[in-house]
Amino acid sequence: MELQTLAMKDATIVDDGTTERTSYPYVTGTSVIGMKYKEGVIMAADTGGSYGSTLRYKSVERIKPIGKHSLLGASGEISDFQEILRYLDELILYDNMWDDGNSLGPKEVHNYLTRVMYNRRNKFDPLWNSLVLGGVKNGQKYLGMVSMNGTHFEDNHVATGFGNHLARPILRAEWHEDLSFEEAVKLMEKCLLVLLYRDRSAINKFQVAKITEEGVTISQPYALKTYWGFSAFQNPSKGAVGSW
Amino acid sequence: MDLHLNAPYCMGTIVGVTYDDGVVLGADSRMTIGMLVANDSVSDKITQLTDKVYICRSGPAAVLEFVSDYVRNILDQQTIQFGQPATVKATANLVRLFSYKNTNAIQMGQMGMIVGGWDKYEGGQIFAVAQGGTILKLPYAIDGSGSSGIEGFLDRAWKEGMSKDKAEKLVVKAVSLAIASDAASGGAVRTVTINSDGVRKNCYPPDSLPLCDDKRRRTKTKKTTTTRTERRIDAPKP
Repeated sequence: MELQTLAMKDATIVDDGTTERTSYPYVTGTSVIGMKYKEGVIMAADTGGSYGSTLRYKSVERIKPIGKHSLLGASGEISDFQEILRYLDELILYDNMWDDGNSLGPKEVHNYLTRVMYNRRNKFDPLWNSLVLGGVKNGQKYLGMVSMNGTHFEDNHVATGFGNHLARPILRAEWHEDLSFEEAVKLMEKCLLVLLYRDRSAINKFQVAKITEEGVTISQPYALKTYWGFSAFQNPSKGAVGSW
Repeated sequence: MDLHLNAPYCMGTIVGVTYDDGVVLGADSRMTIGMLVANDSVSDKITQLTDKVYICRSGPAAVLEFVSDYVRNILDQQTIQFGQPATVKATANLVRLFSYKNTNAIQMGQMGMIVGGWDKYEGGQIFAVAQGGTILKLPYAIDGSGSSGIEGFLDRAWKEGMSKDKAEKLVVKAVSLAIASDAASGGAVRTVTINSDGVRKNCYPPDSLPLCDDKRRRTKTKKTTTTRTERRIDAPKP
């Protein structure tokens, strides 16, 4: 057993001896949006994994439940996200083994993730992700974000990547306390649609996840309807022949 | 012209598809050192890791041969301990571990692998281990330099619940198309079919492959004969 576990632990075969290592992202996910609503937190992301400018993988689930009380959504390098899920799996497992009736809530998980991200950043070996952590515990809703350099904060609505620039202005204008689930989904879809129009890495295949005191529900992937009925689209160079 | 003869031996196109009973893995057999074709026939890019789990390797040859040996070593020990061969998932995760932990090392280069096999718990499965260490369970996967050209083809042609023969034909066609449009892919198409009955290997030599280079359709065209008129060109009269 020793030989095997040693081999697995020490999988870092190649040791360049360099202390400065910055990794480059290869397979990446684009924006994640999260917001609080009346019963809990709602989060959405598309299911795409891009390889540079190629939209290579189209069924990557980027939102996962963590323990009983949290949802984690990630953008950035997918392999690092998968590694973070392994760390959290271990964290939740150890928490369950205490068997003391208590369980880690979203605030705790968020703090753990912040520490992990910040520590890796200090070693010049970051986990190339922007994480959205949302959840409900004992009636308290929580929504926070951690970036790859350890910057972390809480808010009523958060977004990663392009979502910061395109979705959050919409949310700042239209989000209010105690949205119903239907209202929240509508608002979410409004943001997702803008991202679909304007983010080149976005694909039309979204998952919307919600977490309440009762538990987690992650929807099956679905597509949004886009609007192309502008008359100018029919013959755009009518007024200026030769232009585009 | 710089032939890049100091580049690592690199590898062409790999494909893995699931069908109703198991999986079919396929690959070309070309090895290039920069612009030189080191070998077009002998390489076998589909390597066995355990009884019914094989890996398709695309990327620097030496590194990937090492990965296969390393993972096979661990799996051999695991098989002895557990008394039964490792599952496809466990194997794929070991490959992922190696890929993820060593991404930043300079020698790695463009490394993409497909782990496919059959186990008694989940049947036939394909796992793609992409550059960087992302692991994804997929119904079909492709990788390698020649894969970008056949993304659309495979998306259209793969259907759920194909028979073994159809699946194998699909894989051969896909790799042939990739060979036609990628300079780093060529040679024979090798396939490995894995299901509950066992493992079957096939080799389709280059001259047996559908001629994808030639864009001529296989429809009957009327042969029109044109009469050649010869023109004598005499030396100009002084």
